[in-house]
Amino acid sequence: MADILLDVQGLQAGYGGRQVLREVSFRAGSGELIGLIGPNGAGKSTLLKSLRGLLPAEGHIKIKGKSLGDYIPQDMARVVAYLPQHSHVPFAFSVREVVLMGRAPHLRWWQREGKQDVRIADAAMEYMAVTDLADKPVNALSGGQRQRVLLAKILAQQTPLLFLDEPASGLDIFYQEELFRFCRELCQAGRTILLVVHDLALAARFCSRLLLLGGGRLLADGKPQEVLQTQLLSQAYGVPVFVDFHPVTGHADIYTRQPASEQRLLPLLLGGAG
Amino acid sequence: MRKHFIGVLAGMLVLLCLLIVLSLSWGQMAIPFSHVIDALGSVVGIAPAHGLTPNEEAVIWHIRLPRTLVGLLTGAALAAAGAALQGLFANPLADPAIIGVSSGASVGAIVAIATGLSAATMFALPVCALLGALLAVSLTIALAFRRGRIPVLTLLLAGVVVGMFLAAVSAMLLTAVSENKLQEYLFWTIGGLDYRRWEHVWLGLFPIVISVGSICLLARQLNILSLGETEARAVGLPVIRFRLILLFLAALATATGVCISGNIGFVGLVVPHMLRMLIGPDHRRLLPASVLAGGIFLLFCDIVGRVLLSGTEIRVGIMTAFIGTPYFLYLLRKQQRME
Repeated sequence: MADILLDVQGLQAGYGGRQVLREVSFRAGSGELIGLIGPNGAGKSTLLKSLRGLLPAEGHIKIKGKSLGDYIPQDMARVVAYLPQHSHVPFAFSVREVVLMGRAPHLRWWQREGKQDVRIADAAMEYMAVTDLADKPVNALSGGQRQRVLLAKILAQQTPLLFLDEPASGLDIFYQEELFRFCRELCQAGRTILLVVHDLALAARFCSRLLLLGGGRLLADGKPQEVLQTQLLSQAYGVPVFVDFHPVTGHADIYTRQPASEQRLLPLLLGGAG
Repeated sequence: MRKHFIGVLAGMLVLLCLLIVLSLSWGQMAIPFSHVIDALGSVVGIAPAHGLTPNEEAVIWHIRLPRTLVGLLTGAALAAAGAALQGLFANPLADPAIIGVSSGASVGAIVAIATGLSAATMFALPVCALLGALLAVSLTIALAFRRGRIPVLTLLLAGVVVGMFLAAVSAMLLTAVSENKLQEYLFWTIGGLDYRRWEHVWLGLFPIVISVGSICLLARQLNILSLGETEARAVGLPVIRFRLILLFLAALATATGVCISGNIGFVGLVVPHMLRMLIGPDHRRLLPASVLAGGIFLLFCDIVGRVLLSGTEIRVGIMTAFIGTPYFLYLLRKQQRME
């Protein structure tokens, strides 16, 4: 980690008076593909939002050596691209129009997109294999296509850092894996990606590093094999979690066991004669 | 969409010229088209007007031309403001009335009428209406402003609350004024283009040109805002600043339109909606097209209102509702079918 892009020390964040994250510290260098894992409500999205400056946070956050508070919005958008968890496009903008909007951070307020911007947007669309859809309205696309369009948009932003909040949600198995392959390729080319993942097995296969969040704290930080430990995961998820690595492929198989209390309730719920 | 856009624009320009001639020709006193065209020619200095009687010239010059121009200005202002607000709220059903403009303008108008100012000078009523509208919008924004943000839902709710409060203020003032003042207010509140004079044109021209022109300049930012707050912040747009600027510009355009023509509904809602289906949502095309189409729609409603019943006129504010409501219901039904 020669050049540190992201330096987080003692981050605290929350909504209103409710604190969601406590004392989160880590650093990220270029070329890392970092998966944020943890149970629902652990603060994964909160972490991404506060790192992007969309939520107020305490602590020291430095991006490219500059404090978060010292960035003006437009400069920030030239360094970090952010894909929100739920994107809803209310109007029938065409795919090309949406991808071109990713160029906004590089334009003055009175400028229009120029030839160079169009070239970059075209390249982003081609990379994400959505060139055929360029003139289609975004809100008529399937979930997988739309996600690739939004990824093309943030690629067109040309930032060294990318924050993706559950980019694989709602995608089928092929698109999920494809998305992770894209991410891995981008990281090999020097980009740094932080993304929220729910599928731990996919996270293990593609990420170079995992951050495990649980109860608002950073419970583990390291290579997938180090983080995906029975004891750590059980602590984070609050239920017994088991991990087996496949002896040949090295892929992780992660599963939980049903708590006994649920088994006791089943006869009652099914209305069986007790 | 690009080809589409030029076609739509060209079609609208032709329609506009046609409607202007109709608007100058039709009414209580019919003036032959040839005379109208002659008169228009003489205005731009192409040829002297033949066969135009002094009466006809007076009707065209002092009654119908200012009426037509006020209609075009108001229609353009309302449609551009509607398009801007719909983009701003990322909601295709937003309307200038929603941020309290109309109810604020009404209160201003009543104050002008009740205090007798409107009887003293013809500028009192429009200026008071404009001030009322801008105050109402500021109040709406102030109520919705929290920790450096204006959440869209809060803003919409604040607009409804301010509108209801101001409606109560209007009602209270109205119960206190005399019957002939009540009549004057009623006449104003149903927007109309009759009795418009050149003073109305001059009063509306500069605020509308400046506000609508500035909105058109911010079309690219409006595109980004229309994807929603998070997306806009993600590409580095200072959301709050642009929302405030655009809200103010839309309020100024609407308030000026209301102040020179009275309350006219549906233009800001229906016109941008219709055009979005024709030429797409890109505001760089949508806004100029809305400006043109808003003027055309209002002029069309005014002409229909003039000729529908012989001997009397239906005011344009009523006509826009008569034409706008069925269209809006049709849109809602269509949307339901699609879902």
